[in-house]
Amino acid sequence: MLRAGKLRNGKLVFSALRQVAVIMVLSLTLGILVNQARPTRLPLVADWSPEARLTGNSGESLVISLEEARALWSDKNALFLDARSPEDYARGHIRCAQNIPWQFFDEYIDHVWSKISKDNWIVTYCDGEHCSLGEDLAKALLSMGYKKVKTLPNGWTRWREAGLPAEQGD
Amino acid sequence: MRDIKGLIGKICFMREWKRDQVCPLVARLILGAVFMYASIDKILHPAAFAKAVYNYQLLPGALINLTAIVLPWLELVLGIFLIIGLFREGSVCMVTFLLALFLGAAIFNLARGLDIYCGCFSTSTEGTNNAPKVWYAIRDGFFLLPAFYLLYHTFWRKRQAVRVYDQ
Repeated sequence: MLRAGKLRNGKLVFSALRQVAVIMVLSLTLGILVNQARPTRLPLVADWSPEARLTGNSGESLVISLEEARALWSDKNALFLDARSPEDYARGHIRCAQNIPWQFFDEYIDHVWSKISKDNWIVTYCDGEHCSLGEDLAKALLSMGYKKVKTLPNGWTRWREAGLPAEQGD
Repeated sequence: MRDIKGLIGKICFMREWKRDQVCPLVARLILGAVFMYASIDKILHPAAFAKAVYNYQLLPGALINLTAIVLPWLELVLGIFLIIGLFREGSVCMVTFLLALFLGAAIFNLARGLDIYCGCFSTSTEGTNNAPKVWYAIRDGFFLLPAFYLLYHTFWRKRQAVRVYDQ
């Protein structure tokens, strides 16, 4: 009787494992087939390195160096856009930078429309090596027709550590 | 006497019916609906979901797109199977495993101070708003409760039933 019970328990686990395998194969097949049928299909394997992510559609790098950004800021030749949250922006930001929080892009972008023409330089930034909000904002502006858009990776930390002009508040 | 026996029999039957039929069905419907709902937006916007997977900073780059392509369909298939009761043992195992994985990822990123919205590590945790991240972790933990119940019911209760049957 005990043996029969063990046999049945084993069958239950074996049946679960077989079902897991079927579910995995079914999902994998559906996912790949539907993706291949899409007009905007994702490549199955993509390059997610910072270099690949920070390259525009034209192949030109979106990255601006700290020195170049500093020169643009000093000459008042570029509008700096802070892509972080309003809370982070209020705690400290590059002096004269405008806040366009990426999560509220549609609400905030109207402020930018009225201030700059599409030929002005724009420098976006976020904070942290892996933060992608600056590049997301830069790519969105490029797709809207702004031509001179760059992003300063890890911008706030690098700007602050270089002792460049900063300010607090809204 | 016969009336009391009949009444007790009815009560026992109702209790067993609730325990063995209604509660697992409710748990399956809740989890199935959650998984189906969670999959729809990801299936409609795979590129945005790939970015979200990247932002978790847990997978190697080569696996990000494949995960973003397959995981939403896995969630949809599991949601449908839970609701219609097909492949029950396998679905319950996978749903519990996925929920535990999501909870583990949320707690891990919370502990290392990673903002999963932007994929960026906050340089200082001082004043950082952790409330949404804590909420994600609590929500994932909450969904694990019906999943663990189903796992218990599917395997432990069935084993008990098998033993009774064998005896």
